[in-house]
Amino acid sequence: MNDLAAATAAPLTGAATPPKIKVRDVHFYYNGYHALKGIDMDIPEKQVTAIIGPSGCGKSTLLRIFNRIYAIYPKLEAKGSIELDGENILDKDYSMNRLRTKVGMVFQKPVPFPMTIHENVAYGIRHHEKLSRADLEIRVEQALRSAALWDEVKDKLKQSALGLSGGQQQRLCIARGIALRPEVLLLDEPTSALDPIATGRIEQLVEELKHEYTIVIVTHNMQQAARCSDRTAFMYLGELIEFDNTEKIFTKPGKKQTEDYITGRFG
Amino acid sequence: MSAINAEPLRRDIEHRARADARHDLIFRLLLRLCALLVLATLLGAALSTLWGGRDVLFKDGFHFLFSSDWNPVEDQYGALAPIVGTLVTSLIALVLAVPVSFGIALFLTEIAPSWMRGPVATAIELLAGIPSIIYGMWGLFVFVPFMASIEPWMNDTLGNIPLIGQLFQGPPLGLGLLTAGVVLAVMILPFISSVMREVFQTVPARLKESSYALGSTKWEVVWDIVLPYTRSAVIGGIFLGLGRALGETMAVTFVLGNSYNITSSLLMPGTSISSSIANEFNEAVGLHRSALIALGFLLFVVTFIVLLIARLMLRQLARREGR
Repeated sequence: MNDLAAATAAPLTGAATPPKIKVRDVHFYYNGYHALKGIDMDIPEKQVTAIIGPSGCGKSTLLRIFNRIYAIYPKLEAKGSIELDGENILDKDYSMNRLRTKVGMVFQKPVPFPMTIHENVAYGIRHHEKLSRADLEIRVEQALRSAALWDEVKDKLKQSALGLSGGQQQRLCIARGIALRPEVLLLDEPTSALDPIATGRIEQLVEELKHEYTIVIVTHNMQQAARCSDRTAFMYLGELIEFDNTEKIFTKPGKKQTEDYITGRFG
Repeated sequence: MSAINAEPLRRDIEHRARADARHDLIFRLLLRLCALLVLATLLGAALSTLWGGRDVLFKDGFHFLFSSDWNPVEDQYGALAPIVGTLVTSLIALVLAVPVSFGIALFLTEIAPSWMRGPVATAIELLAGIPSIIYGMWGLFVFVPFMASIEPWMNDTLGNIPLIGQLFQGPPLGLGLLTAGVVLAVMILPFISSVMREVFQTVPARLKESSYALGSTKWEVVWDIVLPYTRSAVIGGIFLGLGRALGETMAVTFVLGNSYNITSSLLMPGTSISSSIANEFNEAVGLHRSALIALGFLLFVVTFIVLLIARLMLRQLARREGR
């Protein structure tokens, strides 16, 4: 895995792929508390960007701005600009509906909806597209196949999703996200509630999905970031300390704080 | 030394174990007694009303259930009008109270700013604490005249709709099934909405976030995620309200009009099981008294059937969901 990550990361040092998301001077306030302090970063297209850092450093907060999920709560405020394909998603006029079809999200704990496995995947599609029954079935199957779950659930699509194991549930959540054919996939510590084997499968899946999607993964498992990402961002106390090729971050970090963190001296 | 001490120690432990087992047994029996007490009370009440109503039930049998002729002067008793009145007023109450409660609960859990949630929730719970006699007085002195004033309008508008128009035709008395249903709706609203509010709060934030993340609107999140997740508790809350509506006496007695005629109009006076009993029990003797007690028994049966339907509905829903 390490070799693979290194190999795919290699061309980056030459010519970086064009940025999919441009984060410019983003500040975030929780009830007045200044949680993010001027973040600038370019997230490359069709690569895996990992965000690491100690608890409370703002990495999940940053991720939750990318699809504006924070906006469902009162008293949270983001300032600055985040351009997705050149359009500022923090702009009030940017359609929430459009944003969330373009940017999918998978959460820390697997949260299947209280419906059948089939409905869990079909649910999101139905909100955004009017498909014939047959087309819908195809889309559901495609999504479950891309999430490497199809073979395990194809005979029990009509059963409740709550009966699946934790790892299967998390892959179902990924299937649910990619069923909408997003361009960006946000993963918020997607394996923190899973056992090592299920974690391995999710990481493998991330590896496969990056050919089609721009992936941003928040993790506090540094090995995970090293294993499956191309670029790694290190955050500390609401600031972006360093953002570079994963290989470089983990071998020759440019900042003292990054080095201290990845060598386990704090965090 | 240790050999000498071991024997009393072992005896101590055994003694302790025996005492524990005894206490556990007593505790278990006590709890079982509490549970049995409820069952015994229920059964006792059902049986004693059945026994009290035996005269009229033996004399008329099923005729008692299906006859709408209630005439104490000729000693003729049929329970149809009270049964229909009870069911119709409760149904009206549910139809009005459930959507409003749903709205209140949603507003308080999803939309209201946090400073507003506490006070409004408390106000709703206070509404539940108002004695039913107050609702009855309010109904009679304030609401009945109001209904009387808008009933001509109802005749002219709702009364002209095909099929359901029949329900809204009649003289503007103010008293009647619709009025009683509305008063009942106000009375059960706090129960249903506070149950809904409480269970809506139990929906994990991450479940709602997942749905928002798929681009759902607030309404879709509520309808597709929150409601199915809390379904059994919500139905439980609705039936708690229905149970109250079925048995409510004072408020209904004030505004229902106390008439044994069954008509197709909701604007006409009617009667209900509990208000019949409350109105007539004082002067009833002999068969009349027996008929009223039998009515009480019927209220048991109606409530039981309603709960049964609720159970079946839940099971049906669970099956459709693939569990």
